Amino acid sequence: MTSRQDLPLKTDIAARFVPKIVALMVYLGTLSFVFTLFLIESTFSWEKQLKTHLSIEIPTFPGTSPDALEGRVVEMLSKTPGVQTAQPVSQSEMKSLFQSIFGQEVNPDIMSLPIVIDVSLNGQEKVDPETLIALLKNISPYIHLVDHRIWQAQVFRVIQTTVIIASVITLLILCAALTITTFATRTSLLIHRQVIEVLSLIGAPSSYIAKQFQFNALKQGFIASSFGSLFAFFTFFGMATLLEKAELFSIAQSVFFFDSLFVFFLIPLLTSLSMMISARWAVMRELRP
Amino acid sequence: MSDVIAQLISLGHQYEEGPEIFKGVSFAIEKGSFQFLTGPSGSGKSSLLKMLYLGLRPTWGSIHLFGEDTLKIKPLLLPLLRQKIGVVFQEFKLLDHLKVVDNVSLPLRVRGLDSRRGYKQSQELLDWVGLGDCLESYPSSLSGGQKQRVAIARAVITRPQLLLADEPTGNVDDDMAMKLVYLFEELNRMGTAVLIATHNQRILKTFPHPQLVIKDGTIHTPKKELS
Repeated sequence: MTSRQDLPLKTDIAARFVPKIVALMVYLGTLSFVFTLFLIESTFSWEKQLKTHLSIEIPTFPGTSPDALEGRVVEMLSKTPGVQTAQPVSQSEMKSLFQSIFGQEVNPDIMSLPIVIDVSLNGQEKVDPETLIALLKNISPYIHLVDHRIWQAQVFRVIQTTVIIASVITLLILCAALTITTFATRTSLLIHRQVIEVLSLIGAPSSYIAKQFQFNALKQGFIASSFGSLFAFFTFFGMATLLEKAELFSIAQSVFFFDSLFVFFLIPLLTSLSMMISARWAVMRELRP
Repeated sequence: MSDVIAQLISLGHQYEEGPEIFKGVSFAIEKGSFQFLTGPSGSGKSSLLKMLYLGLRPTWGSIHLFGEDTLKIKPLLLPLLRQKIGVVFQEFKLLDHLKVVDNVSLPLRVRGLDSRRGYKQSQELLDWVGLGDCLESYPSSLSGGQKQRVAIARAVITRPQLLLADEPTGNVDDDMAMKLVYLFEELNRMGTAVLIATHNQRILKTFPHPQLVIKDGTIHTPKKELS
């Protein structure tokens, strides 16, 4: 009996527009949130795949013995603290890489391809690139060191910034939905001022009146956000289908990585609960003596 | 003193720029008492009741209800005090979007009572006031007298310790007016203190209960003057 509605909240003007706005907010918020998750997931998976921290290029000249140079460099690297592995890239791999860039019609055998050694660091001891370059130059002045960590760090910073921006957008959308709920609740309080007065005079505590608003907000929020979330799901599903058709299936799989599916269930729950709390807060604040 | 459930001490009130309507009013309502509050129109009967049911704050003085100073009490406890009071409002204050039976059972819902029990109690009470066939009707379809009876049923359904009625017989015929006062007397016999604001002379003559007369902003009684 206590849960029945004593206030005619269903007929409110606010009841007509709040669900539509909330549905739209949840739709945009879900898109933004899943996009954030996608970026985080992609960054982690990319980070795991990145095993080469440094590359050493040894140019080959006619009449020189590249194998001897390669051996000396690998030996030096194996003695360097902080270096986990130093793996020369095979010539066949180099040729296929070369052909993937310049085309299959180009014959790499007519060119003297450099020897490339992929170096991975253990991360426990710091490797100073300047010292390493000096040691390599002792072996051959033409050896070139490429530090991949510099551009990797830049890419990570860009991704991190994007994640922060996307998270802020999600939060702003949530805040906007809660602000709308608060304003709608305040409007309802004004509309039903006389009913609330009667309820108060017959001994209804503020919490009883707040309960009427909070259940209404919970119901409205859940229905509206479920619709918003469902539309967001279909949007992602559509995007995945398009990516699949464009033969970017791996990206499509990433977009729909299993973990992100919980978002489509979690967001309606969180939104409706937040709306409920926000409505209660607004009523309790307004009815404060 | 322990039998006093409501006490007004040196009460004064003034509506903004308007004249003073009370000048140091003091009186007490004892447990199980039955009193009429009377006086000419505009003398302040409704305002006095409004202060007693905590719908209006006095400009001066204090009101003690059930041993609590209402001006110093914690706001959270105000609903508990109000739950001990049944009020029949002059303008009924029925909720038009709720059925008659739901209007009557509203005070029970506020107290968290079981819905079936509430419905049954409301039904019995509405039968008693002659509205047994209007349970599912909405207040907007009722006459003034019927609305009055619904308002009375709502005020008494919780068997309050104090019943305040503002012109409860104003919209009903004489027979129904008598019947309603009998209902109030019955409630009074069960321990509810009753204060009825009325200027119905027939009722005042028929029922020999003490009268509080508001005159010139003060309270008088025919037997002894309290302020």
